[in-house]
Amino acid sequence: MSVRNVSAIASRELAFFFNSPIAYIAITVFLAVSGVYLFVLYDFFEGNQATIRPLLEQIPLFFILYIPAITMRLVSEEKRAGTIELLSTWPVTDAEIVLGKFFGAIGFIIVTLAMSLVFPLIVSSLGTLDLGMVLGGYIGLLLLGGAYAAMGLLTSTWTKNQIVAFILAVLLCAFFYAIDGMVASFWEEGRDAFAFLSFRAHFANIARGVIDTRDVVFYLSMIALALVLSVQSLQARNWK
Amino acid sequence: MIEVKGLAKTYGELEALREVSFSINRGEIVGFLGPNGAGKSTTMKILTGYLPQTAGTVTVDGKDIGEDSLSVRARIGYLPESTPLYTEMLVYDYLAYVARIRSIPKAEIHERIVETTRLCGLEERLGQEIGTLSKGYKQRVGLAQALLHRPDILILDEPTSGLDPNQIVEIRNLIKNLGEDRTIILSTHNLPEVMATCSRMLIVHNGTLVADGTPADLQAREEENPRVRVVYRGAEPADLKQLQSLNGVESVDSGVTVEAGAVAFEVSAEKGHDVRPGLMELAASNGWELVEIHRLVLDLEGIFRKLTKDV
Repeated sequence: MSVRNVSAIASRELAFFFNSPIAYIAITVFLAVSGVYLFVLYDFFEGNQATIRPLLEQIPLFFILYIPAITMRLVSEEKRAGTIELLSTWPVTDAEIVLGKFFGAIGFIIVTLAMSLVFPLIVSSLGTLDLGMVLGGYIGLLLLGGAYAAMGLLTSTWTKNQIVAFILAVLLCAFFYAIDGMVASFWEEGRDAFAFLSFRAHFANIARGVIDTRDVVFYLSMIALALVLSVQSLQARNWK
Repeated sequence: MIEVKGLAKTYGELEALREVSFSINRGEIVGFLGPNGAGKSTTMKILTGYLPQTAGTVTVDGKDIGEDSLSVRARIGYLPESTPLYTEMLVYDYLAYVARIRSIPKAEIHERIVETTRLCGLEERLGQEIGTLSKGYKQRVGLAQALLHRPDILILDEPTSGLDPNQIVEIRNLIKNLGEDRTIILSTHNLPEVMATCSRMLIVHNGTLVADGTPADLQAREEENPRVRVVYRGAEPADLKQLQSLNGVESVDSGVTVEAGAVAFEVSAEKGHDVRPGLMELAASNGWELVEIHRLVLDLEGIFRKLTKDV
């Protein structure tokens, strides 16, 4: 595993985002939606409480659309343009390709989250903000975003069509977000049984400002699983 | 240097390559020739490690391309068929990216890019976005990408397809200059290209290797079965039978009246036989006037067509 290769690929992905208008549009839309939600839809000022908790609860939902939109092109575009052929004949392993692409997306998520710190800043100017909750919440968002990104990367290895990759990633993220709720809709007792698979259930503690090792391990395992499957999917050209 | 043994590749039902074996020595410029769909690109994709073969082995200096994939890939520069590039990147940034992946030391990257782009005639375009370059310049970027790490093996899949005649000449000259200290394998379905650049040609057809040798070898091989064209004044097309019964004649193409009272025949001789004296005697014994007699030498194009003709 060469760190240099991974970082070369990751920085090319990041440079791609920020050299095109896509990144700026995406981040602006994300901040606008979050701002409207927190200060308008949620009736922040009625609540009379300096908290970003409503935002922490909603961002996982926004991310279901936002992150697949970032990750959809990662591999599918290389397949469509044929550049995957050069990339895979350069001396890089498939694992380095997958990790590079993944960290490129993570970099973008970190930039997005950093920009969204504007909300805790505004809120803290209005009252005393629970900094522990902000810190815990952002770590949680990064973990959750990482899991979405890994799934988006996986669907992007399946097709050369970005839109297909996007739709599959949204479905996959939504499925794991709401699996406990979906099961509960026809089998109420099943909710708790399926909560261990649910992105939302694992985020509930985090949104309260509690970082539990079990939740961290859960997100990290989902990321690892999706990345391993992505490497296998890239290698699958070998059996075509 | 490169040993290919019993290479086969099937895509589902389709047999793209069957039992292909050849070896290539250091410093050779080998032209991989064949009609579209003959298996040229498949062979190159296997040699570069992009696709695994279904059967057979490929080794480079004894190292298997499957088992020692990374170390073999580090020695190869590859230009795929349609020159896939990251069109949104600047030429310089793209090459800097390739340089990082090719493990070129950071301090040397700039110098290496300048050197390589000068060699490829690209130095004026370093700041341009790849997507806005003409086809010829994109091809040069593809070549620069393949050359950046100074590989000792270059694999170029149809390096001149889609270029205009001037660009073709420029790229050919470039390849020739590169070949002085490298092993180059290039594929093409264009015969003059092979004759202009290559020291050896491999002709593939329907996934099998049908010829391997220098252009001169192939011509010499063809000349073992010489064809003779003869024109008699006074003969009839029906006299074909008389020609066929001559000693050493394998077959005769039907006679054609070429001018008033004169008929032309094309005679294929058996291996090692010279049929010309017989043909001359035939004229004397029938009282025909021998107007023309000469050996037909099949040029490379003719040989190529003959080898890749679907039977």
